[in-house]
Amino acid sequence: MSHAASHAVLDPVFAQPFPQAALPVLRNPQLRKNVAHAIDVIQAKRAKLVAEKTDWKELRDAASEIRAHALENLGEYLEQFETNCTAAGGTVHWARDAAEARRIIADILRQENAKEVIKIKTMTSTEIQLNPALEALGVSVYETDLAEIILQLGGDEPSHIVVPALHVNRSQVREIFARRMGIKDLSDDPHALTAAARNYLRQKFLTIPTAIGGANFLIAETGAVAVVESEGNGRMCLTLPRTMITLAGIEKVLPRLADLEVMLQVLARSATGERMNPYTSLWTGVTAGDGPQSFHVVLLDNGRSPMLRHKVERQTLKCIRCAACINACPVYRQTGGHAYGSVYPGPIGAILTPQLMHLEHAQSLPYASSLCGACYEVCPVKINIPEVLIELRAQVTDRERKEAERFFDPLYLGLRAANLIFSRAWLFTMAQWWGRLGLRFFTRKDGWIHSLPGVGGRWTMTRDLRGLPDQTFRQWWAARAKEAR
Amino acid sequence: MSAQATSRQLILDRVRSASGSARGNGDAYAGLPRNYIRKGSLGAEARLGLMIERLREYDAEVVECAPRELPAAIAAQLTRSGRHSFVAPAGLPAEWRAAGFDWKIDSGLATGEIEAAEGVVTAAFCGVADSGTIVLHHTAQEGRRIATLLPDFHLCILFASQVVETLPEYFSRCEQAPPLVTWISGPSATADIEMTRIKGVHGPRFLAVILVRDQI
Repeated sequence: MSHAASHAVLDPVFAQPFPQAALPVLRNPQLRKNVAHAIDVIQAKRAKLVAEKTDWKELRDAASEIRAHALENLGEYLEQFETNCTAAGGTVHWARDAAEARRIIADILRQENAKEVIKIKTMTSTEIQLNPALEALGVSVYETDLAEIILQLGGDEPSHIVVPALHVNRSQVREIFARRMGIKDLSDDPHALTAAARNYLRQKFLTIPTAIGGANFLIAETGAVAVVESEGNGRMCLTLPRTMITLAGIEKVLPRLADLEVMLQVLARSATGERMNPYTSLWTGVTAGDGPQSFHVVLLDNGRSPMLRHKVERQTLKCIRCAACINACPVYRQTGGHAYGSVYPGPIGAILTPQLMHLEHAQSLPYASSLCGACYEVCPVKINIPEVLIELRAQVTDRERKEAERFFDPLYLGLRAANLIFSRAWLFTMAQWWGRLGLRFFTRKDGWIHSLPGVGGRWTMTRDLRGLPDQTFRQWWAARAKEAR
Repeated sequence: MSAQATSRQLILDRVRSASGSARGNGDAYAGLPRNYIRKGSLGAEARLGLMIERLREYDAEVVECAPRELPAAIAAQLTRSGRHSFVAPAGLPAEWRAAGFDWKIDSGLATGEIEAAEGVVTAAFCGVADSGTIVLHHTAQEGRRIATLLPDFHLCILFASQVVETLPEYFSRCEQAPPLVTWISGPSATADIEMTRIKGVHGPRFLAVILVRDQI
């Protein structure tokens, strides 16, 4: 059984609209079971550890305000970061888009004569399609996060930003590892599978002199970079190689080192339901005698700066990638991550991806939500995701509206008619009367409408509609008033 | 102008024009709400008790000792570990290097030599009881980052006076910003396969802590 799914590399440019992309998952009970199990486990752990924190609300307020402040003064903090990182021996590069970031990284690798690289899990590198670009240049890329190894060896793509292989179960992992690592008697016990990954990687850590990773936080005050992880593969990549390359979105800056006292407390609890993740590393440029002696940071814009323009959309960039919104989302729970056609799935993906694409692609994603608000409730930096979703829906509608052809557009005509009817009581009463009369033809004996023609059929395709009652509320109210008299 | 300089200017211009004028941000920063708990409320004993409890939840082995018993406590822990060859950071006090074991003093050991060692003994900068976190600043006593990474067993000497209750208290103990920090909360772990927590992926699989009861 191979799970190496048929989907191509996650690229919003080529992705199908969400409703179509979700269908294969909805028809795959194994996949849905894997996703639901993982989500249930993380959700339960998160809820327990957030509840024990008596100052959660205050931490969340502080985290939200620190992130908002960093974005409002982003230019200044980015320059501060650059100055301090450079002074500490790092080299800072600026990439306006994905292509430039790939070029910068390829140039560094060429100078280093690097034929192989080890990688820490970085969703930003998937965003810029870095691995295929490096492979095309003849560089072998080795992912070192357990989940990323499962995906890389299985020819699969991440479906979650914190636990990217949550859609793969142990027997599928066993099959991939046995086949790709050439291990004959591998059991499907997660201990054995983890040990196999440890052995597979140990020599690579010790011998490959170039590493690429992401950043959880950039500290403007000191020029330091922080990486939050669990397995220790991050520490290996940050410590053993000669050269380290960090790819980070421009929004990752925090003003001061001590801001981590808030961020680290909310991040681990929200992401994995731990009081603190096993390892967090912070380093500042180059330290003589300790770790890589050549350090590069690539600051990536790639569609981020336009999001700063308006307050509603700007919230998107406060995100610290904890995935709490993904885990809380009833839509994600059913569809898994691949349906979103982007490395960023779930509610945050539904607002981030379309904006990164300047709304030229992924226009269906703002609709991939019931607007229930669970995502906002759990977000540690208080991103009002439903608010951003509604704003993006309005923008998508504005773009799709064709002014000249509007009198042929049933939606436009329908809304104009509704506008007219709702603004006049007598028209409303008449419309109700006609509507009740019309629907009577479709109401069955059981009092339900099972199918409607035309546009109405879109509703009844997936659910029944209760037939209208004999009396409207307004009629009942009028009758009641008469009786009382 | 090089392509790089152009991109830098372009991005900064876009950012500045989008987020308004580049004004001084010191006052705005000082005004950010910080009503979360910044100082713990536990007494000294309860604080140490919490630290020990959290460490044990991570399956770390914890023993306590008085300052004068420390060398003996180290020797006992190393014997219990069943290991013989250990890395000692260059600044580790000589009396901590218990007799009867192979010590490699790390004044620039090669990667292979550290990889070959079975364990490492280090000091720490701070312990945070709330999350059971050990903080290393990688000074001469705490070792280079590689020294606490490759060996499979890490014995960490933590003094009671170094233990704070909350993470903000750790940050207020940093008089100068440390260039290197590792926050360790239990041994390396993964839950990537069906959310089953597995201990010991790449970092040390065994963490032992001696809590030295100095003055608090």
